[in-house]
Amino acid sequence: MREPEILYVERFRILHNDYEHGGDAAAAIKSILKELGIPQEEIRRLSIANFEAEMNVIMYAEEAEMELQVLADAVCIVLTDRGQGIPDIELAMTPGYSTATPAMRERGFGAGLGLPNIKKNVDRFEIKSAVGVGTTLRYSISLKHTPRTGEA
Amino acid sequence: MNEHGHSVEIDPGKCIGCVACCQACPTKAIRVVDDVAVVKPELCTYCGNCVRVCRYDAATARTSDPSDLKMFKHTVAMPALTLYGQFGRDVLPNQVLHALTEVGFDSTYDVSWMCEMVTAATDAYLSECAGPWPKISVTCPAIVRLIQIRYPELIAHMVPIETARELAAKILRRKLSLELHLDPSEIGIFFITPCSAIMNSIVRPVGLDQSYFDGAFSIAEIYGPLTDAIKNPRTTDFETPVSPSGLLWAMAGGEIAGMRNTNTMAVRGTQDVEFVFDRIESGKFAAVDFIEAYICPDGCVSGQLVIEGRYAAQRNIQQIARKLGDQGQVKEEKVRSLLREHFFDLEEEVKARPASPLGRDLKQRIAMKKEKDGVLERLPKKDCAACGAPDCETLAEDIVLGERRVEDCVFVRIEDLTGNEASGKEGNRE
Repeated sequence: MREPEILYVERFRILHNDYEHGGDAAAAIKSILKELGIPQEEIRRLSIANFEAEMNVIMYAEEAEMELQVLADAVCIVLTDRGQGIPDIELAMTPGYSTATPAMRERGFGAGLGLPNIKKNVDRFEIKSAVGVGTTLRYSISLKHTPRTGEA
Repeated sequence: MNEHGHSVEIDPGKCIGCVACCQACPTKAIRVVDDVAVVKPELCTYCGNCVRVCRYDAATARTSDPSDLKMFKHTVAMPALTLYGQFGRDVLPNQVLHALTEVGFDSTYDVSWMCEMVTAATDAYLSECAGPWPKISVTCPAIVRLIQIRYPELIAHMVPIETARELAAKILRRKLSLELHLDPSEIGIFFITPCSAIMNSIVRPVGLDQSYFDGAFSIAEIYGPLTDAIKNPRTTDFETPVSPSGLLWAMAGGEIAGMRNTNTMAVRGTQDVEFVFDRIESGKFAAVDFIEAYICPDGCVSGQLVIEGRYAAQRNIQQIARKLGDQGQVKEEKVRSLLREHFFDLEEEVKARPASPLGRDLKQRIAMKKEKDGVLERLPKKDCAACGAPDCETLAEDIVLGERRVEDCVFVRIEDLTGNEASGKEGNRE
């Protein structure tokens, strides 16, 4: 099977405990997609997923690279982190399950909805993890049609 | 009034091309070309930031012409609540309203009661609506246009209740035409405005097919004659009750002050509004029910077309509201019956008006974005605006569109002359 052509790529680095810049990658991706005229609703869904994914790295991983890939018919995010990995993916995908510390919960995180929320907002979702190595998330939003100029 | 005219105008004779307005514009709608600022009307929110920052009196807001009053059999002045705070703490609203009848209007109408009713209607709406949260007030027309142009996603957050001023004009026209046996079109209702944004909302209404106002005059232009009329009134026999809680709408925070719902915030000033709106777009502040937002730093008392400074004006409003004491409240039953007949509803859907992206389709847009990023690499990223665009990124965009050239950047020109790197630091270009 031929890989789809990637029309545009941008990479962002995310660091553990860097709450100060939490959300910056998601915001930068959002502004790029706005510039490319991707429809509002698709940007909104992807931005929610990106923010969750970015905060997951800040809270649980060592560091990560978030790669934005714009294809002709989809916007794809590949998030590769170096970190503790997830021993039981099925459990981590259960709404309400969380390993957040009390300090994280104090900041309003740790409701156990991160990964389920990402999955809920995107069209395709894959997760691979190796304990002690890291986790790779790959998710995408499909573009049903090519947006026209000046589309509201 | 010319419907197609621009209600923020730049006088090329007075403009020296200083770029202050260009940098103050929240939608990057201004470019300085050949030492004159030019506004792109499709991007203008009419916020009046350009009028505020212009030191050369070149950016002005156009209002109605006094001769417009002659077109009507009966004229009414409806002042913005801000007007009541312009003449010190000892001049009460009824004196101001009376003075308006001595400077050329046949009658006046106070909007504070309608503000109080809209407060009640907003509470009722918030208790029933389903989100998305937070809901955002539509009182400030510059905020409405900012959302249409820069934050179209937030349109769903706007409270679909018409502004108190338009509702007051709607009810007033109905009432006067019955009382005076005039055709509604023979009545001229004029707003006394603190800002260019409201003036524009009358010429180009949003959420409404046609404004219920026939025009507007600025507080600044009417201030002199009004001061004289307040000092020497022809009669002192007048009594117009004003709603003290409605009066507070003149200042940021006044709208939420009278609400039952306290899960609210007041956001004011362009930068703070952008800060909060950016975050609402990312799903934050969803735990807040209602946001009152003003483009001006302290709400309407800080509009560009007022005379009294915003701090003194706020003190005046507060003290006048205290002095008025409890003048009775709007009856809840009245509000409920108006809600039932959908009196408060916006008449039309608010439409997004985003700036059209570069390029026809995704492939072309990506090509143009790459080209733009390439151009941006050559620019110093100092955002000095000396080229006449508000920042380097906007210049890069204009260059890709073929409207400007990279040589319009003074740093690039210096670089070309000296053969040195314009930005100086290597780090800037990686």
